[in-house]
Amino acid sequence: MAHLEAITGRYVNLDIDGLSYRIYFEEAGEGPPLICMHTAGADGRQWRHLLNDEEITSRFRVIAFDLPFHGKSTPPGEWWLSQYKLTTKHYAEVIRQFWQALNLEKPILMGCSMAGAIVLKLAIDHQDELTGIIGLESSAYAPGRYNDFLHHPAVHGGELCASYTLGLCAPDSPEAAKRENWWYYAQGGPGVYAGDVHFYSMDWDVRDQVSKIDTTRCKVSLLSGEYDYSATPEMSEAVAREVKGSQYTMMKAMGHFPMIENYAGLKPYLTEALDHMLS
Amino acid sequence: MSDTFLSPEWFDAYVSRVNADPEMAAIAKWFNASWFLIADQTRKVICVEAGQITNIVHAPRIDTRAVFGFRAPMATWQKFISKKPPPLHNDFFAMLMRVPEFTIEGESLVAMQNARALQRMMNLMREGA
Repeated sequence: MAHLEAITGRYVNLDIDGLSYRIYFEEAGEGPPLICMHTAGADGRQWRHLLNDEEITSRFRVIAFDLPFHGKSTPPGEWWLSQYKLTTKHYAEVIRQFWQALNLEKPILMGCSMAGAIVLKLAIDHQDELTGIIGLESSAYAPGRYNDFLHHPAVHGGELCASYTLGLCAPDSPEAAKRENWWYYAQGGPGVYAGDVHFYSMDWDVRDQVSKIDTTRCKVSLLSGEYDYSATPEMSEAVAREVKGSQYTMMKAMGHFPMIENYAGLKPYLTEALDHMLS
Repeated sequence: MSDTFLSPEWFDAYVSRVNADPEMAAIAKWFNASWFLIADQTRKVICVEAGQITNIVHAPRIDTRAVFGFRAPMATWQKFISKKPPPLHNDFFAMLMRVPEFTIEGESLVAMQNARALQRMMNLMREGA
């Protein structure tokens, strides 16, 4: 039966380092702000189940935005004159500017994969501005995902990036959900996944910083999928060991994309993490 | 666990599965390559034309050409093809990243050009696929 979803979409314009960024975001619900951030090479559509979950949106203002170059967020300035390569510094700055532009008070940041990584950096540097962070598939250091075929003239980048990430899903996750994520990956711009992975596998390393997170000021929940071979459960667990007072849970039969590959499987773990944020 | 992996009987079923697969029919039109599988001392060559397996070379000779292939111990292959593969063994990309004894050999560019269909072919090796 035809029905309208409760999700609304808008654009916000940010000025960062002298460039104007037109950022697309979707939101639903009311309550403490919960900012949800997508994986490398994907976009905010990965959060559609959460944005449509009334049990969550009755408690939280859920907001999912597309990073520049991703989804419906436009590349800035003369983007065609340089190769897209995300950096830790710029990534963190975009996210902080986003919550400041929307006047979000003490938001909860939730990110997955590379976004599950960057939320650690934001908690390290700005913990008094946040209620807490929920890291899905988080890691403090994640080498090994980059290869030149991800952006190569002899390879269909969309198909390769989508297939490269399909196997990050768990075998038991619903097939249609895994294929939906495949589709989102196939729609990424040329070189965008590679540019994100450049951040994730080459620039990213906060192993000597994560212990600075004070969980009495900024709560930390970490959830890791058993079948995630990129940010493995051992990698998330290593972060949890360094962040005293953090919560860590390994999700059985889950892969690298819990919010899109198996939302029903994620829900109980997520509810617990959100309860922790409000405790 | 399949005791028959890479045997002629195993390949008979595998070829039927691949050539009747609707997804392969939809995505693999441009997949034209001969590629190999090595498990311990066993080497087999799979010849693919327009996404269909046209021949299996069970006893490759020096003049049997193959563009790329995968090598792993039989025990690793058994994990990959099991009905419920363990973590790190559920996809060939996973094994390339995390299972050191699983390697790709030859022209990896051709493998990546056909990654979508190749991944489907690999997953069709799985028991119960």
